[in-house]
Amino acid sequence: MNANMFSRLWVLIRREIWESPVAFKWTPLIIAGFILLVTILLLIIGAKVDNEQVFTIDGIRMYAQMDDAQQRLMAAGVMFSAGSLFHQIMFLVVVFYLAGSLYDDRRDRSILFWKSLPVSDQMTVASKILTATVAAPLMYLGGIAFIQLALVLIASGYGLMADINIFSEVWAPANLPKVWTVTLLGSLVQSLWLLPIYAWLMFCSSWAPRLPILIAVLVPVLIGMFQHFWSFFSNFRLPDFNLLWVILERIGRGVMPASVEWEQIINASESEPSFVPKEEMLMSFKSIGNAFVSWEMWIGVAIGMLFLAGSVWFRRRATDS
Amino acid sequence: MESSIIRAQGLSRRYGSTIALDSVDLDIPAGRIVGLIGPNGAGKTTALKAILGLSKFSGKLEVLGMNPSKDRDDLMEDVCFIADVAVLPRWARVWQIIELTERLHPRFSREQCMKYLARTKIKQHSKVRTLSKGMVVQLHLALVMSIDAKLLILDEPTLGLDILFRKQFYTSLLNEYFDEQRTILITTHQVEEVEHILTDLIFIKDGKLIVNNTMDDIYEQYTEVMVGPDGLEQARSLNPIHERVLFGRHIMLFDNADQKRLGELGEIHKPSVADLFVALMGEQANDQTDGSGAGEKAA
Repeated sequence: MNANMFSRLWVLIRREIWESPVAFKWTPLIIAGFILLVTILLLIIGAKVDNEQVFTIDGIRMYAQMDDAQQRLMAAGVMFSAGSLFHQIMFLVVVFYLAGSLYDDRRDRSILFWKSLPVSDQMTVASKILTATVAAPLMYLGGIAFIQLALVLIASGYGLMADINIFSEVWAPANLPKVWTVTLLGSLVQSLWLLPIYAWLMFCSSWAPRLPILIAVLVPVLIGMFQHFWSFFSNFRLPDFNLLWVILERIGRGVMPASVEWEQIINASESEPSFVPKEEMLMSFKSIGNAFVSWEMWIGVAIGMLFLAGSVWFRRRATDS
Repeated sequence: MESSIIRAQGLSRRYGSTIALDSVDLDIPAGRIVGLIGPNGAGKTTALKAILGLSKFSGKLEVLGMNPSKDRDDLMEDVCFIADVAVLPRWARVWQIIELTERLHPRFSREQCMKYLARTKIKQHSKVRTLSKGMVVQLHLALVMSIDAKLLILDEPTLGLDILFRKQFYTSLLNEYFDEQRTILITTHQVEEVEHILTDLIFIKDGKLIVNNTMDDIYEQYTEVMVGPDGLEQARSLNPIHERVLFGRHIMLFDNADQKRLGELGEIHKPSVADLFVALMGEQANDQTDGSGAGEKAA
């Protein structure tokens, strides 16, 4: 029964990826291609400016003489900046995907076909939210891994040219297996942070008579504005707790890598202006794990579950008309 | 005793002040092909949606012994439906739809489906959006007929298809799909095409069942007589439920009249479903110019 359930969920998730190949397959590939193109262009321009490659080779050798921690920090910085673009774009893609997830088939009436299959509405909703929270991060991780590998390979080429030990100076500091593990676990935690927002979009998608994305955005914006003005005119001050602010903060949390110890970095840089973070602060398993003892995250998950239950309720009653 | 496939008691549904289904009683046994016929807005789709668990209803309704609104997920393993033409997901490729149905439907036979598709021009790699309307219906019918279901519900299955395909479809439905274990419920406007395959007939109007009987009983109950000009008065005295004029001859429809006396009045034959429909369902039936079904038949 359970094995059967998982295989059915797997089929339904594949269905989602078949339906939106641009969102889940082509977008990460295009981002990877874009980063690769920009990198190559920069290298070509660099080669033109630095005709004999003297400065480039000098720079590489200087890097090779840095201590381990510095090398790791630089490598992690490059790896993370390459990866962050993926997560930001993925968030936007998933927002649009979810807003249409329970709406598009009502609009084109193919819901009648889907409802003719022996698939429960819980299963349908589960497959769509899992596509957003697990399948999409995995597909985008593929793009991230590809571009990170490409960057390390390019760096290795330059390293060979500069005659440095590429294993100890490039591959070891870049530590791709660790980067990939941290990114994978981090992005799953980020999905949990974003669950209330994802589930809200799906909830709107399950009942909106039209334009679910607009409804999903307008409702919190209007509530936030109303809250703002109400508090301003009744108490002559701005509210301490504004819905819009909470949502924006949450989106920020969900889009930034969960493995970064933001608080430590911010606190340290406040007390010490010349503070330079360590690689461990960027790729911290502890920071990922901390999310699980954060009541804020679990409140979000609970709210998300309520919206998902609501989505199932509306999906149950949805037909073509 | 035959087991019921669909059993309804006092099945009702209202939308605001409109009554779409008005306390319908229904009992459909296994191994039947039932035609659910009615004018637009009579409650056909409402009834089908209730049976499929797609809309709310009041009253008692059992489909294959299950409550369609509660046990919908289990029910769909044994019930197949084509709710309307061309509702397959437009983004999907043919092979993807077949794959999905195979993985999600325990009673689907890929082999059977390929057999049906081989007769069409549908290619595995085509996207549904690029198929013609007729091809989408062919694909959908191939999928549905490859599922070993106990109840098949077809809501206007051949709408917008050419006559060749419609004939072919009903022939294969009857010869290759239908057997005593299965029940088929069809709604359609093209009654002339289905009447030869129906075993049961239901007429629905304003949410009420006007006729609900087997075809055999219907042919026993209703008789059509072509009356010559001299028998007119006598025939009218027997209270025909409907009368129309065709090439100067009066065709009258009688309900439960004495066959022997009718035989003396003129030529007797079985009424067509279309003529019955016009006679029983339309107030406008009194208007002699109407009766599109009858007109088509004459042509």
